[in-house]
Amino acid sequence: MTQGEIVIFKDKQLGFFIYLGVETIMFATLFATYMIFTPAEKGPHPADIFEWKTLLLSSFFLLSSSGTLMMSEKGLRSGRKGLLVLGLFITLLFGMTFLGLEILEFSSYLQQGYGTSASVFFGSFYVLVGLHAAHVAFGVGWMGMLFLQLGREKHAASFEQKHRIFSYYWHFVDVIWIGIMVIVYIPYLL
Amino acid sequence: MVLKRFTLVPVLLMLAGCNITVLNPKSATGKDQAFLIWFSFGLMLIVLLVVFFLFFRFVATYRYTDKKANFIPEDVHGNKWLELTWTILPILLLIVLAVPTVAITYNQSPISEVLKKDEAVQIEVEAQQYQWTFTHEGGKTSNQALVIPEGKTIRLQLKSKDVIHSFWVPALGGKVDVMPHKDLYYEIKNPEVGTYHGKCAEYCGLEHAKMIFTAKVVTEEAYEQYVKE
Amino acid sequence: MQISMFNQTFELPSDVLAAWIFTIIAGGFVLLYVIKKKKLPLIWDYIRTTNHRKIGTLYILFGVVYFLRAGLDAVFIRLQLAFPDQSFWVFQQEKYNEVFTTHGTIMIFFSAMPILLGLMNVAVPLQIGARDLAFPFLNAVGFWLFFFGALFFNLAFFVNQAPSIGWTGYAPYSLNEYTPGVSTDYYVFGIQLSGLGTIFTALNLIVTIFRHRAPGMKLTRMPLFTWASLITSYLILIAFSVLAVALYLLMFDRLFGTAFFSGSEGDPVYWQHLFWIFGHPEVYILALPAFGIFSDIIPTFSSKRIFGYPTMVVSLALIGFLGFTVWAHHMFTVGLGPMANTFFALTTMTIAVPTGIKVFNWLFTIRGGLLRMTAPMLFALGFIPSFVMGGVTGVMLSVSAADFQFHDSHFVVAHFHYVIIASTIFGIFGGIYYWYPKITGYRLNEKLGKWHFWLFLIGFHLTFLPMHISGLQGMPRRVYTYGADEGLTGLNFTSTIGAFVMGAAVSIFLWNIVITHRRGVTVGADPWNGRTLEWTVDSPSPEHSFDPMPVVDQMDPFWYAKQEKRQLAICANPRPAPPDEQSMIPISMGLSLFVLAAALTYSLYWLAIAGGVGIFVLMAIRSWTDRTIIEEEEEA
Ligand code: HEA
Ligand code: HEA
Ligand code: CUA
Ligand SMILES: [Cu+2]
Repeated sequence: MTQGEIVIFKDKQLGFFIYLGVETIMFATLFATYMIFTPAEKGPHPADIFEWKTLLLSSFFLLSSSGTLMMSEKGLRSGRKGLLVLGLFITLLFGMTFLGLEILEFSSYLQQGYGTSASVFFGSFYVLVGLHAAHVAFGVGWMGMLFLQLGREKHAASFEQKHRIFSYYWHFVDVIWIGIMVIVYIPYLL
Repeated sequence: MVLKRFTLVPVLLMLAGCNITVLNPKSATGKDQAFLIWFSFGLMLIVLLVVFFLFFRFVATYRYTDKKANFIPEDVHGNKWLELTWTILPILLLIVLAVPTVAITYNQSPISEVLKKDEAVQIEVEAQQYQWTFTHEGGKTSNQALVIPEGKTIRLQLKSKDVIHSFWVPALGGKVDVMPHKDLYYEIKNPEVGTYHGKCAEYCGLEHAKMIFTAKVVTEEAYEQYVKE
Repeated sequence: MQISMFNQTFELPSDVLAAWIFTIIAGGFVLLYVIKKKKLPLIWDYIRTTNHRKIGTLYILFGVVYFLRAGLDAVFIRLQLAFPDQSFWVFQQEKYNEVFTTHGTIMIFFSAMPILLGLMNVAVPLQIGARDLAFPFLNAVGFWLFFFGALFFNLAFFVNQAPSIGWTGYAPYSLNEYTPGVSTDYYVFGIQLSGLGTIFTALNLIVTIFRHRAPGMKLTRMPLFTWASLITSYLILIAFSVLAVALYLLMFDRLFGTAFFSGSEGDPVYWQHLFWIFGHPEVYILALPAFGIFSDIIPTFSSKRIFGYPTMVVSLALIGFLGFTVWAHHMFTVGLGPMANTFFALTTMTIAVPTGIKVFNWLFTIRGGLLRMTAPMLFALGFIPSFVMGGVTGVMLSVSAADFQFHDSHFVVAHFHYVIIASTIFGIFGGIYYWYPKITGYRLNEKLGKWHFWLFLIGFHLTFLPMHISGLQGMPRRVYTYGADEGLTGLNFTSTIGAFVMGAAVSIFLWNIVITHRRGVTVGADPWNGRTLEWTVDSPSPEHSFDPMPVVDQMDPFWYAKQEKRQLAICANPRPAPPDEQSMIPISMGLSLFVLAAALTYSLYWLAIAGGVGIFVLMAIRSWTDRTIIEEEEEA
């Protein structure tokens, strides 16, 4: 990037960090909601329905996708396009796998008859974990966009910026997932 | 309360003549609240007078006139001591205000459980869109008309069947919200004989304005009579 | 009136009918004017603009339109309350409940907020020597989100579905069980959309203020309006995020069967907590920018720098911070218990201290100055005593046990109109008179401005002073009638007269705008003998402002340069400015979300999906076509 581009990029960076701050407050409020309403008086106890297996599996894919994204960032920085593409591709795959697992988890609850109205615990679970899943889905779409723009040589600098902003986003979504593990699942699995 | 001795601000007594419901309370609870209102108003009057005095003085003195057309005011950056003054004096004033506030708030706040059973007159208040039902000890119920004995402590147990309402008898004190799925308790102490307006003070729908009742404070004998009827 | 359409009959009350007729006629006139005066290209330009001054103008324009609408609501409220047992037109029961809900909601969200954001848009970049906001495109997106959110909310009335839950939307009344139908959904989505836009704009302002200042414009040299905008932006980020989640949860309760705020498991008080964690900071979001405006106006027209600049900044920050610790003073009567009540009473009282510091600093700025009584200065001066009156009733409300009597009575109505009108509305009027030259190139007529001020001030006190007493006399708020025997008649009637006086004042303001534009006498860059950088650029501010870029060496640089009869130094190579562009994407994004909101309201899920897809497609297009300016220059 040229000197001017770096200045402009720093604007974007700061703006995006502030945006992530906003998201943090929103998620914090949803975490608080979950903690207030869980476990609920009626309906199943979270301990009866959460499973280690599902949690570990989905966590594995999502958390390691942060690692593969770092690989891609390294490729970006050192100019190794192969590494960049490979890292991004695996991240995309992992993200999609996570989404698939999430859909499976939700639909298994739904099959047992536990929708949003089953209890306040389920309500607060869906609004929180569902919003996170929506973020992952958005990120997957975003990665798709990045792939499309990969080949546009003329816009190399702007690709680099987009890639970096995306990384902040994806790592953030991962951090939220860690929060979900620690607050939503693990207390009821132990 | 000892604190009441502070109320003798002459201006306030003058104003008290105007017969405003909340400021002429008919219960000990209401009197504590009216005291707080007067007391805080008195303190605030001091603030207002100071600000008004400075304001009108400065504006009158320093406004533009053609004589001053070429005058360029001297630049003043600030003044540490002045600024400290108007930081510290308000803090002191607020401390004076905070003491009775805390005392009476501890005494009067509605709470969600009552621990002791004593001689207070228990009354269950049930609100629903747009009516009030009062149940006395012994099971007597009435609608839109609360009857209570003078001179006693009245303990209200409030519950709502639907949305949030709020129980308010301006002359006796209040108010306290009436919540669904959560009973609240509120005490009115030492009411005086009379008939007073009662209102729903939390917006609750179409006829919120018409969700009114009367609160009748009667002598003890009359109350015994009433409950037995 | 009843209308049959699509095999259904609709109830069409006469007020809605009247509104339709009025809108169609007024719309016709506007259309005619636009075509006759050949204004279409201008509109086309504004639709695609990303320029900060133009977007600011749009914010102010629509904010004022909504102010008139909500002010008309207020007039209806006052007419209905003028006499005991009154039945004015249709405004009893449901209609009254609708009219105070829309009055409060529109005033706060769609009038006061956007006008303040508009003034920030216009003034902040010019005050700090920035060529635009950091993200002009995002700025346009923020505006159009507000536009469509407000439009959506206002449409409810035209289909006779105006929400009637109060601006506070307390559950469980706001849930399906008690307000079935779509009216409350208009509230939820209308606020949600514009709230998102507000968050984007706040973010944009923060980045602008941190990164786009002219060389030498240190934080400690910034004008106080910019400081107020910065701190307000932080409050917005936090408060509106919480509001967004609160509305999101309310939406789930209403549309998807959850029960956060009702039933034996949920908790209506939780809604109140979330709402007031937003709501209390919100009142400072309304007040702080106004404080900032006055902090600029008062030194300008006193020809004297602000007294105690550092404490002015610190007290802004303190008010902002303390504002997050007091929310439950709106909930003294819900049974949180004596501990919580005491705690929140005490935290609330502390806010009086930094506010007082500001008041006295303003007073001592005036002291020793040379006061020019222009229209903006009159509003600033009118603000001081009026606001203090509202502020001290706020402190009375914070006395928790006394609040058991005050709460939800007209005493509270008196308090908040005093503080809001004295700070926000006076600030808005003062700010509009002050910056009007920067926005349009014209200066509003001073004589009419003075009439506007005095009538408004008198009407305002006439309306709201009696409400303190009617509250203490036992008048709850949100009631459409009262008894003749309650001793409320004279007080209410006086208030109604006051409202009409305010209406007259606002009409003069509108007339002032009309004749100012008709006369079309332009003024130069510095009509007020100003102190800050915005007065160094042309009026109206050009699209390429600050060319060349000035160097700032102290506070109020322009004033001191004028005093010393020198020019501001010039910086040879300023930082690159954000790209200038025109785009249809922002308005399209707003439109997609509008469609999404409408579809969710009416459970048309296919349409909702279309709206959702629309927004992603637009984002993709933006991502595809967006590039940094540097590249553009290289290509050119
Ligand atoms: C611009 C908006 C604004 C502002 C600035 C304020 C400022 C304050 N408000 Fe107000 N308030 C509202 C808007 C605002 N409010 C609204 C809209 C509601 C109702 C919402 C609803 O229910 O619909 C409300 C309701 C409200 C309540 C709840 C009432 C109830 O429902 O029962 C309370 C209670 O404590 C309160 C307190 C205060 C206090 C202590 C301040 C303080 O910040 C005031 C500080 C200022 C001063 C005190 C004056 C200057 C100071 C000095 C000159 C120094 C010396 C002074 C002293 C030592 C006292 N407000
Ligand atoms: C920014 C905030 C703001 C502003 C500026 C105002 C301004 C006014 N408000 Fe309001 N008000 C609120 C915010 C505000 N209000 C809120 C939040 C509530 C609580 C709602 C709730 O309970 O949920 C409330 C509630 C409220 C009530 C209490 C209702 C009740 O509880 O029953 C009343 C009663 O008198 C009232 C009156 C007024 C009046 C007379 C004005 C006047 O200042 C208005 C002056 C303006 C005009 C008079 C407009 C003139 C217009 C023209 C001249 C143009 C003619 C029209 C066209 C060409 C279209 N307001
Ligand atoms: Cu019941 Cu209002
Ligand atoms: Cu508040």
